[in-house]
Amino acid sequence: MDRPDWAPEGIDLTRPSVARAYDYWLGGSHNFAIDRDWARQVLAAVPDLRLMAQANRAFLHRAVRFMVDQGVRQFLDIGSGIPTVGNVHEIAQRAAPGSRVVYVDIDPVAVAHSEQILKGEPGAAVIMADLRQPSAVLTHRATRALLDFDRPVGLLLCSVLHAIPDADDPYGMVRELVKPLPPGSYVAISHGTLDDLVEEADEMTELAGRTTTPITGRPRAEVERFFAGLELVEPGLVWSVLWRPEEPDETFERPGRSGFYAGVARVPG
Amino acid sequence: MSGLPGFVAAWGRALRAVAYAPLTPPERTTLLAGLAERLAGALAAPAFDPAAGYWVGTDLVAAGYAAPEALGRTLTVLRTRLPGALGGEVPQERVTALVESLAAGFAAAVHERSLDAQESIRLAALTARDRAERKLRESEARIRHLVTHDPLTGLPNRAALAGLLAAAGDRVGLCCIDLDRFAGVNDSLGPGVGDRLLGAAADRLRALVAAGGHRLLRLDGDQFAILLADTAGSEDAIKMADRALAVLAEPFHVDGTEVPLTASAGVVERPAGGEPAELIRAAHIALHWAKADGRGCWRLFDDARSTADAARYRLSAAIPAGLRRGEFTLDYQPLVALTGGAARVTGAEALARWRHPVEGRLGADRFIGLAQDAGLIVPLGDHLLELACQQAAGWRTPDGTDPPHVNVNLAAPQVYRAGLAGLVAQILDRTGLPPHRLHLEITEYALIEPTREVLANLRALGALGVRVVVDDFGTGYSNLACLRTLPLHGIKLAAALVGPPAAAASDRAFLATVVALGHTLGLTVTAEGIETAEQAERMREAGCDVGQGYYFGRPLSSDRIARRIAAPLPRRSWTDDAGSTAESAL
Repeated sequence: MDRPDWAPEGIDLTRPSVARAYDYWLGGSHNFAIDRDWARQVLAAVPDLRLMAQANRAFLHRAVRFMVDQGVRQFLDIGSGIPTVGNVHEIAQRAAPGSRVVYVDIDPVAVAHSEQILKGEPGAAVIMADLRQPSAVLTHRATRALLDFDRPVGLLLCSVLHAIPDADDPYGMVRELVKPLPPGSYVAISHGTLDDLVEEADEMTELAGRTTTPITGRPRAEVERFFAGLELVEPGLVWSVLWRPEEPDETFERPGRSGFYAGVARVPG
Repeated sequence: MSGLPGFVAAWGRALRAVAYAPLTPPERTTLLAGLAERLAGALAAPAFDPAAGYWVGTDLVAAGYAAPEALGRTLTVLRTRLPGALGGEVPQERVTALVESLAAGFAAAVHERSLDAQESIRLAALTARDRAERKLRESEARIRHLVTHDPLTGLPNRAALAGLLAAAGDRVGLCCIDLDRFAGVNDSLGPGVGDRLLGAAADRLRALVAAGGHRLLRLDGDQFAILLADTAGSEDAIKMADRALAVLAEPFHVDGTEVPLTASAGVVERPAGGEPAELIRAAHIALHWAKADGRGCWRLFDDARSTADAARYRLSAAIPAGLRRGEFTLDYQPLVALTGGAARVTGAEALARWRHPVEGRLGADRFIGLAQDAGLIVPLGDHLLELACQQAAGWRTPDGTDPPHVNVNLAAPQVYRAGLAGLVAQILDRTGLPPHRLHLEITEYALIEPTREVLANLRALGALGVRVVVDDFGTGYSNLACLRTLPLHGIKLAAALVGPPAAAASDRAFLATVVALGHTLGLTVTAEGIETAEQAERMREAGCDVGQGYYFGRPLSSDRIARRIAAPLPRRSWTDDAGSTAESAL
């Protein structure tokens, strides 16, 4: 990016934010009218979206609990958004007290909100950074202070990579983020797709274009490429509702309607 | 499954996926079991209190089950399954009251939760906006700093002056300090050394300035400025300039090399409130004076001198237009033979005049120097030469004899210029003036070390038949060898040699020797600046051939000199003619 480090970030409250719309779909109230207007339009096009968001969020929590079970005690959550109910640090700390979490988001409002929530929470921090600059994330003071890269780290990339178009080389970003992770670390990815939303695809694409962060839904093979060089754990890359469900799912007629591919992989070594 | 555990399981199934709550199934079961216990306890209590339902509703929301569907399904499960789970002995009105209470608690909690969430997201938006604005301001401040500071020394620059002046008090002083011949340092020792030298100079000045609470700026490459706030008078600023030049005069050591340095300073001190650019301009003018006065010194800006400079500059700038408009003309001062009986006018010296549209009539002393400095002396001199030849060509004597010659001054650049004789030949050709009637006066300064061009010019002029006379002889650098070898025709003694009325005997002897020298070399000797009869007599006695001065006649316009030449010869001797010159002097 050409923007010098001291140039200010813009803050645009006149355009809907995906982070706040996502909160709305999850049933939260951390959003503005502009976000709700847009979120309702998307809902009209894709009535299952609330359920998709809930399923995606539930995958994140299952993935975190899985990683805690594997001994991971520190997490890097990129694209953390508005942390409504059930933040990663709450989930992780409930499963393993003392777990540490660094949240990363590019949305200034999401970051400011996270700061409010994390006030007085020594085990978690939020940084405003762009996934497009992995080194800025990895070398950030808070990252260095909270995360020990000599021990396994849980890298969470949930519902964020579809915000990066191919032109920005999202695969290179993931490679760079994975590179410093020691063996035994885990990477969780959930990624929006239109593979089973053929009828809604056009409208989804059009609506996504209106937000501050347009969406690139990717077919399964392209999502699988993000795990190159990593060992996918069972059951591999699947619909989000099918990844290690804790009880039978009755919410989708067919799992593909969940709209997200999800998988967790281990850093080999 | 029956009893309370069966109810809890049914409740859990009802809540699954209707709302998002970050609970694992076992966590959810634990939560709902606790809530079910409380509901059962309330229904079975001897004194029924429906408020228990209210708090169950709020706890449900607190756990994350805040969606409308979660309430709807909870109410349904409660009505249909709870009485049965408790054995069917529960009064219907208690169940109804409990359900209503739970719904109220749920709604109230959702309301509270929404208000809190809205407040927190607004606060986050405000914080984010504040932060963005602060960053914007910081970046503006950074840009402002970059714009107003010099990256090499970190000192404020010219753009910062306005801001500093605004806080400088009633009177301000500005010392503009320029390192002398700094370009030479950069050229010979390299720009790296130059930069370090600048840094070292800045450090010394900074130390000096800090002691007095003044501000140091870097205006330009090798130029610093000290801004003095609240000065009492120019003395304050001068002292500072003096000290600054002193600290810079101590030798610098850069990269093991001693680099001697001097600096010049222009100082200005005046009431605050003027334009910063005006203050810098004044300091620069004073700095220019300091440089012109030999560097290594300071000069205080002075309005009168600056005004005079400006007037000179304006005059100088007007010369080309004056040339185009023909504003430069000539007056003629008669040259009178000192030998022979009558006051015979043998020639006239052309004297440059400028009929300036605003300044009026200006003598040569007002603009010849300017034209020389401005590099305009050659076109001006050529113009005047042609004009003199043209006008002299029109002179007629009453008896048809050869009219007097015209003396025209040539400036050194004209004499040095190759092809002078060719130009003169063309002018003579165009004007019809016979070559022997043109006498060119050159200063002896031009002959100190005659170049090949000068020698060639003089020889070619001689071959052309034009006479060359050395002007102001005896005041400066007379090169006697030149007098002997160059094709010259005369010398004009400087007015100083004409001397005071009561000249000493030694002066008379010196004069006689110079005249004799001229005659020995076959040169005509002219004395100028003759103002009295006594001087005229003395010059005649000394052997001078020709006299010039107010005594013989003031400069006349071209018309009047032509009329005087055309007038019948006076019957009186030249000694009687003096009285009539006064009226013709105008």
